[in-house]
Amino acid sequence: MRFAACLIVGFSLCAFLVSARSQTTPDPPPSPQQFGKGSELFAQICSHCHGPHMVNPGTASFDLRKFPHDDRQRFFNSVSNGKKAMPPWKDVLHPDEIEAVWAYVRTGGVEPQ
Amino acid sequence: MRKLLLTAVIAALVPFGLHAQTASDLMKGSQKDTANVLNYGMGYDLQRFSPLTQVNRDTVKHLVPVWNYSYDDNKSEESQPLVYNGVLYVTTNAATMALNAKTGEQIWKSKIEYPDETPRIVCCGIINRGAALYEGKIFRTTLDAFVVAMDAKTGKELWRSHAIDFKDGYSMTVAPLIADGVVLTGISGAEYGIRGFIDGWDPDTGKHLWRTYTVAGPDDPNGKTWPGDTYQHGGGSTWITGSFDPDLHTVYWGTGNAGSWNPTTHPGDNLYTCSVLALDPKTGKIKWHFQFSPNDPYDYDSVAEMVLADLNIGGKPTKVLMDTNRNGFFYVLDRTNGKLITANQYITKQTWAKGIDEGGRPIASEITDKVRQGQEQDVWPGAMGGKNWSPVSYNPGTGLVYANTLNFGMHYKPTTPEFRAGLTYWGADITWIWPDGPRGGLKAIDPMTGKAKWEAPSDIPRFSGVLSTAGGVVFSGKLTGELEAFDADNGKKLWQFKTGSGVEGQPVTWQQDGVQYIAVSSGIGGVYTLFSGDERLSQVPAGGSLWVFALAPQ
Ligand code: HEC
Repeated sequence: MRFAACLIVGFSLCAFLVSARSQTTPDPPPSPQQFGKGSELFAQICSHCHGPHMVNPGTASFDLRKFPHDDRQRFFNSVSNGKKAMPPWKDVLHPDEIEAVWAYVRTGGVEPQ
Repeated sequence: MRKLLLTAVIAALVPFGLHAQTASDLMKGSQKDTANVLNYGMGYDLQRFSPLTQVNRDTVKHLVPVWNYSYDDNKSEESQPLVYNGVLYVTTNAATMALNAKTGEQIWKSKIEYPDETPRIVCCGIINRGAALYEGKIFRTTLDAFVVAMDAKTGKELWRSHAIDFKDGYSMTVAPLIADGVVLTGISGAEYGIRGFIDGWDPDTGKHLWRTYTVAGPDDPNGKTWPGDTYQHGGGSTWITGSFDPDLHTVYWGTGNAGSWNPTTHPGDNLYTCSVLALDPKTGKIKWHFQFSPNDPYDYDSVAEMVLADLNIGGKPTKVLMDTNRNGFFYVLDRTNGKLITANQYITKQTWAKGIDEGGRPIASEITDKVRQGQEQDVWPGAMGGKNWSPVSYNPGTGLVYANTLNFGMHYKPTTPEFRAGLTYWGADITWIWPDGPRGGLKAIDPMTGKAKWEAPSDIPRFSGVLSTAGGVVFSGKLTGELEAFDADNGKKLWQFKTGSGVEGQPVTWQQDGVQYIAVSSGIGGVYTLFSGDERLSQVPAGGSLWVFALAPQ
């Protein structure tokens, strides 16, 4: 079934789907520094749509507490390129900044010990 | 016969007579012209008051919806509808629409597009607050900072002028103002390191006529209130439509907070942030200014509506300007010269100032002194203020101002932001301090004392506009979706209707073919929804639409 879908949507997206699949091993817990930088960036540039500390009534944007904590690829893709009403960020954020926000989001906002 | 002839002559003299809004039409406001709603604020005075009485404290219980129109949009719907000759004009961030005011049928819809990146630089909701009508044209602003004119009959775009690059943090949500034949617009983005301004445009061609900066630069003596080149990111946004006194040829426009919030990054009074500017609409020249909150650390933005009225003060009819300021004080100024008449606290709790002195300058509390030394503190009201953007209504009959007030504080920690074009430039970390009870209330405020005659509290605060009428009714909406009606004299709840999303819109009323209508937008997604983290709102779905009500036929 997935194969059929691949045939229809074409090769590049198919390659992306396959690589997304192979990336399910969760990232190791972030360092406290990375987490700190991520939570600060989140507060500055993401929280006004996703809520303080990711607590968002969830009516108009995505509840990031529910974002799959092992789907790094999807996170990077959505944040870099945008998705529907979610704006793209790749022209203003450095990859290591997206990495830091990912560190924050994938811990569910709980600081690593 | 003579009458007929005269009509024919007038029709010939005024070629747009039936489908154009002349300067004198706009001057009437809803108080003299109950068949139309031609201005943002329902009149140049922004009183949001109607003399209509069909819907009154006795009949309001029979109010029922007559039609509902989908905006096909899930953003915050704060647009105020306009009504002219049976056509209702309304906006969202993504479209402008003309509807049959009686039936809700769509006459035209003209879509607005902006780059996907634009919402990055919009802090507090993807919003458009409404349009302006003038001489057969409809004017609006776009999120990516264009001003657009359309043919009111067809929605066809006539001109589109670029105000400034959104990539530098500038955006537009404001409804334009037409004053002395000029289209005036403001700007948003004080949280993104902008330098605010107000623009004037030629309604016929879209030609840029003037720009008045709300953050004084080196060419202005008041530029001395900004150290070095801090004025370049000094904030001072202007995202709520000003009021206009046609006799004085003066526009009164409020200005936003200083950028960044951290006051130690720009010591000084920071003119003209957190002020009201009295402008000549033809030239943009500042006639006078009055600053509510100098060197503001707390986001006590003063953009919200400057209501004009003629009050009897000490037996003397006085032309005043009233401001339910975000800093928690209610100001009455003499609008001919900008002198303070009185300023009184209208919210239950504020800790940032000991009071306002005779000249109008706040006396800083110890808390504010400490914040200005860079310390973190608890302070009331919080950054959303004692009243946020939600426009008040002034009822000249009761002499009261009906305002959706807020009741929560914040823990405030100054930070030192670095400016990066297109990213936030906050300057503080804040966490809310919630009261045990209601977080807000609709108050009936005496403008001369700041005291409330009554209050209708709300656990989740209200963020919609207020409408009052000579029928003794006050209308306002809740974030949980109810449009409510209260008795103007005592705050008793008389009626409510639950819409499908949260109400952040601005209720208006008009009378057509003997029927009084009330219209309000529903659609959640504004500042409180985004910033409060109030999980009680998770059960309120997004989804914008317009509701129109009238009395059920008896
Ligand atoms: C202007 C508002 C806005 C801002 C600012 C914003 N987002 Fe979003 N975001 C949204 C909306 C709306 C959605 C839901 C998109 C949809 O409809 O699928 C979303 C969805 C997402 C998703 C889920 C996408 C998916 O794969 O389904 C992620 C992850 C995300 N945002 C991360 C971020 C991060 C990280 C930041 C800060 C760098 C950020 N967002 C800033 C509005 C915003």
